[in-house]
Amino acid sequence: MFKMKRYLCLAVVLVFALSVMLSGCGGSKPTDAEKTSDAEVSTTGGDEESSVPKDTVEIKFYSVADTQPDMQKINDAATEYLKDKLNVKIIAENFGWGDTYTPKINPMLAAGEAIDVVFTSNWAANYRQNAVAGYFYELNGLLEKYPKIKEIVGADFLNGSAINGKNYAVPTNKEKVHNWGYLLKKDLVDKYKIDAANIKKMEDLEPYYEQIKANEPGITPLLTVQMDATWHLLDWDNISDDDIPGALYNDNRDTKIFNQFEAPESIAMYKKMREYYKKGYVHPDAATQDNVNEEMRSGKYFSVVQPLKPGKAEEMFTSTKIEWVQVDITPPIMSNRETIGALLAIPAKSKNPERAFQFIEMLYTDKFLKNLFVYGIENEHYTKVSDNVVKLTDNQGYMAGNGWRFGDQFKDYLLDNEDPEKWVKFEEYNNKGTALTSLGFAFDSSNVDNQASACKNVIQTYYKQLFCGAVDTDATVAKMSSELKAAGADELIAEMQKQYDAWLTETGKK
Amino acid sequence: MDNSISMKVKKKDINAISWGSNAVLNLMFVIYTIVCLGPLALVIAISFTDETEIIIKGYSFIPRKFLVEAYDYILKAGDSIWRAYGVSVFVTLVGTAISLLVICMYAYPLSRQSFKYKSFFSFLTYFTMIFGGGLVPWVMVYTQLFRIKDSIWILIFPYLMNAWFVMIMRTFFKTTVHESIIESARIDGAGEFRTFFVIVLPLCRAGLATIGLFCTLNYWNDWWLPLVFVTDRKYFNIQYLMYQTLSSIQFLTSSSASFSQSSKVLGELPSESARMAIAVVSIGPIIFAYPFFQKYFVKGLTVGAVKG
Repeated sequence: MFKMKRYLCLAVVLVFALSVMLSGCGGSKPTDAEKTSDAEVSTTGGDEESSVPKDTVEIKFYSVADTQPDMQKINDAATEYLKDKLNVKIIAENFGWGDTYTPKINPMLAAGEAIDVVFTSNWAANYRQNAVAGYFYELNGLLEKYPKIKEIVGADFLNGSAINGKNYAVPTNKEKVHNWGYLLKKDLVDKYKIDAANIKKMEDLEPYYEQIKANEPGITPLLTVQMDATWHLLDWDNISDDDIPGALYNDNRDTKIFNQFEAPESIAMYKKMREYYKKGYVHPDAATQDNVNEEMRSGKYFSVVQPLKPGKAEEMFTSTKIEWVQVDITPPIMSNRETIGALLAIPAKSKNPERAFQFIEMLYTDKFLKNLFVYGIENEHYTKVSDNVVKLTDNQGYMAGNGWRFGDQFKDYLLDNEDPEKWVKFEEYNNKGTALTSLGFAFDSSNVDNQASACKNVIQTYYKQLFCGAVDTDATVAKMSSELKAAGADELIAEMQKQYDAWLTETGKK
Repeated sequence: MDNSISMKVKKKDINAISWGSNAVLNLMFVIYTIVCLGPLALVIAISFTDETEIIIKGYSFIPRKFLVEAYDYILKAGDSIWRAYGVSVFVTLVGTAISLLVICMYAYPLSRQSFKYKSFFSFLTYFTMIFGGGLVPWVMVYTQLFRIKDSIWILIFPYLMNAWFVMIMRTFFKTTVHESIIESARIDGAGEFRTFFVIVLPLCRAGLATIGLFCTLNYWNDWWLPLVFVTDRKYFNIQYLMYQTLSSIQFLTSSSASFSQSSKVLGELPSESARMAIAVVSIGPIIFAYPFFQKYFVKGLTVGAVKG
């Protein structure tokens, strides 16, 4: 027995030794930065912005986009560039898109890791949830102290991304409005001499649909895939997700929230699509198709509804290799969809929130830094064609692109195939948009989580068939309505209304 | 069984099944095999198919135009894929070895009648099968207690111990190694460790192979650990790279992502055939691992069945 105990002891000791050894191997990051944490906020920056802080600190900057082989080079270049400005060591990394970024970042935030700058939005690393959970540093003070971001982005837009008046992240300065319309296949537009300027509503395309259906075998007149459907032409101001009941009209006519899936306009839309479906304007398998880009690339469709912005057709040409003509249908709107579409936040556990914020500010103000993270290093990853136009090289080491992810997108260089007037047009487009009353309202679904997810399930069951017209409208809507009722749609919408009314009173909009 | 009976049995085996049901059963398994192998064959076929052909004509088992472009892409993408491949191989080999050792050394005492704290340690294992700490505490243990985030160990450590495998192994030890064998070893002067390594383990090859295969698959197929813990690309494994690519595509093409910039991103992602080529490359070694384990596999799994 005694012998046994000895071995037991030995085993325990071994296990401990092993764990110490292993942790020793990996513990490459001792937290020596801890001591600088709070003291730093008060000592650095402020009025003497020009003075470079003496201590070098690490700034960990995590964002969406695919991981790039040459990221280290970019980090080195950024560190070098910032040496006599902020004196920071940049450790930037991309972790793919939604499905890989979110599950990596959320546990890090929850576990309180010391990260300094993270990308957040309504579709990746959920901004509202993480902000409400207290994982993000409140930025109002810093925004006052360093006012440049507010000047660039605009108070309207910045307030739109605030939660109960508090900014936990700063939105990218990019297109701030959205509208919906069609992309039409250019060769067919030319062939049938379609005047895109004359198309104002979906019915205007019907005569062409008829011709194309009759004369172009193998071409389907209208592509509709899941949510990429004519449904978007109604452009509801959705309170929550796109597939959760509860919306407002997009023209600020009133403040009454209703179920957009049963609204008369929607039912008329379902009926129209039913008509199209019967006439063969829509692909018979439309209800089960799931990849809009792949379908577009096949070149077998004449028209498709897409979110638009200046230069959308050119952008789609790069990814689909098919020429498109863009036709605006709905007016530009500034809604919550845009304000929290792409933001940068500073996690609450950041050791150097102020320095991190200065770094973020430079992404808005410093053209070199911004383009370094978008296009890479000059003459290595891109070459300059003219002052503001660049051409990508064959070196695929850094192709992060997607300047809309952070900072001021208007500072980005243009690619040689892009409209040289792109940013001017963006500016005009932004100015045309009307801001919705609901801008800045964040629905907190915690009281009605069950109802919300139950309703979502019901909508998920029916919307695909309804949107493409694959099923009889009246019968299906009746079935959906009764299921929504059972799922608690009424309580959900009542809760939305209650919160919205309270918010309107609070913000003085009512 | 004496001779006369076995002669009779030869004529008509009691266990034999009729010709008809034999054919039906065989047919069933042939179909089942086709159903299993079909998708794999399709993946391989697609990896050799021309990209534009896929978009226009869809998938087919026989490529109309045979191309190795996709594999070319992998060769060129070079570094990141090969490195990830190396990480996967290393983690699988080292992980499986250490994991087997840990599991066996935990399971063996539990199988011994003479171990005094057997029930306590059994309970410890069993408890973890029912209750878990949840994601965040789990992450904190590795990032803040052990501090092995962003190292090769984070890909190995969390899977070293598996309560379920310990249970299987314990049962295996119990049924395969008689107490009398251990006793005789002790009489011959072997200590506990010698008994364990020289007598017990060689007797349990089937069990080791089975658990070894499970561990191998666990490590090879894992993308969850790099997803949660790894921020340094040096430690991405092949499954994670694949998962990242696929989820990027899935996310960007799904309707909910109709945020206006997705189109640009999509143009940069590897083509359908390249994705399939990565899949083919990543299943490679594990397919070769199977035959190696197979001869022990059935025996290992049926452990606990009645023994003669």
